[in-house]
Amino acid sequence: MANKEEILSGLEKAVVTGKKAESIRFANEILAQGIKPLDAIDAGLIKGMMVVGEKYAAHTIFLPQVLLAADSMYGALDILLPHIPREDAAKRVDMVIGVVEGDVHDIGKNIVKTMFTAAGFNVHDLGKDLPPEEFVNASKANNAQVVAMSTLMTPTMDSMKASVDALVEEGVRSQVKIIIGGAPTSQEFAEEIGADMHAVNAQDAVAKVKAAL
Amino acid sequence: MADKMNHIERAMAGLTNQPVDRLLTYPLAMGVCRRLINGTGITYHDWVSDPKKFAQAFIDGQRRFDFDFAIGLMDLSVMAGDLGAHVRMDEQNTPFVDEPLIKDLEGYEKLEIPNISDPKTRSNVLVEGTGMFVDALGKEVVTAAFLEGPLLALTQTRGAEFVFKDMYDNDSSRKAVHTALKTITDYDKEMVKAFAQKKPAGLVWDYLWGSYSCLGDTEYAEFEGDHKYAGCLNDLVIQEGMANCIHNCADLPHLDTQIKAWKPAIYSMAYYPLIPGSPSAKEVIQNGYADVSLIGGNIDPQGFVRWKTEKMEDMTKKLCNEVITELKARDLGGRYCIASGCEVPPSLTTKLENIQACVDTTKKFGTFA
Repeated sequence: MANKEEILSGLEKAVVTGKKAESIRFANEILAQGIKPLDAIDAGLIKGMMVVGEKYAAHTIFLPQVLLAADSMYGALDILLPHIPREDAAKRVDMVIGVVEGDVHDIGKNIVKTMFTAAGFNVHDLGKDLPPEEFVNASKANNAQVVAMSTLMTPTMDSMKASVDALVEEGVRSQVKIIIGGAPTSQEFAEEIGADMHAVNAQDAVAKVKAAL
Repeated sequence: MADKMNHIERAMAGLTNQPVDRLLTYPLAMGVCRRLINGTGITYHDWVSDPKKFAQAFIDGQRRFDFDFAIGLMDLSVMAGDLGAHVRMDEQNTPFVDEPLIKDLEGYEKLEIPNISDPKTRSNVLVEGTGMFVDALGKEVVTAAFLEGPLLALTQTRGAEFVFKDMYDNDSSRKAVHTALKTITDYDKEMVKAFAQKKPAGLVWDYLWGSYSCLGDTEYAEFEGDHKYAGCLNDLVIQEGMANCIHNCADLPHLDTQIKAWKPAIYSMAYYPLIPGSPSAKEVIQNGYADVSLIGGNIDPQGFVRWKTEKMEDMTKKLCNEVITELKARDLGGRYCIASGCEVPPSLTTKLENIQACVDTTKKFGTFA
């Protein structure tokens, strides 16, 4: 039987190499052996995704490998998360994330979601083509501290502003940090529409939000 | 300052690395020029459904702005839509796929090339419309067709995230991706041959996945760069009598492959100053890429919406100065076209006066004297 270190190392490797079946197998073994799920998340999944993030930033791996790694992480996470004690789960920062109305390009949003998940955030993925009220409702429902929005297209940048405006009008704005991203966006645009910050990539986003909280 | 060369003389000089009176200019104003039709503009749906209307936007754009090129970009969902993906057609927004066709690995195998001679297909509208503006403008400016590369068309048809995962998930999924790419490459071949009948001077490929933020050299080579895909398509364009050109608005484009290896006549690209490693015009010229191709770029498309006209003039002037300095340093001719890095946003909020400002500023400050 493998010891704890070997299992966690195996889980990390399954994430780094994007082997979902392997990560699921290790996650089940973790539960079977009574290893704390949070230890597995920290020392296996998060550690693995950090390696993936560093390799992606260094251009030694690329989107296909990152996406498979993310799948692998989520496969294990689905098994481990229900077993986290309620008091530990409550400590995680809740955030909502989505692509604004009129835009269905979500690959960037999904990468950002993955890196926030790996960083220990409780990420509520709202999907794509989201009307402003979806951000408002989800922020309220989840007591979110962070709202992340993205768009890849120029015409839908106005939807981003509409979403920020809706958060203001519905009285949610003061409870959340708003971060935006996507090719046509910038810090200047973030300030113009009343968001708190802009990030150029997933790691930048995590670092900025952590610093802001 | 009055131009001393006409548009075609200037473009040909730029393409052959000869001196020019001034830098070439072509803000990539395609969809936005539908706003000029009939004086009041037409919806996107009408523009992309009727070849005459499609062509009219380029003709009206030329009359209004006096560009050096006319390139027939419609949008990036033409092929996916004709393959069977659902395309959302908002009145004033670029059409895009909102429901991919391919749902599983079997879907890759089932792709069928549409009948592009059917007037109901947008492929047909694109080809016929391109022919119409080539007929109208071909003696005035250098014209080119615009076509999605195979990997772009596939990611539009399946969804990029799924395609990227399927590339390496397992042997079966990898094989399925290649099967679909083969079908789409054949579709592209039919489109190239159809465009060639319309006699544009060139054909511009959109090869936007050749980006280091998406694919490395190995991945790109296997799934698009290989001769059986982009390689043979590039060759076919030349065999069919057109100049082979490439547009890639990615942040970290594969310049060594797409310029140095493929040697396109024109390479159109963007610049993302916030992204480390995104190549500026200066770096592109200094690194020898303008020795190989006429480079087009790289004004921020957002500027056409957000900037005051004075800022557009300043940014265009700055780019002209940067480019001319670097071209002179390498003893090159007119090897740069002042353009937007990607399509000028086609939305109603785009300032048409900024398109004019970009062109006029290039005419004034893009001279080599």
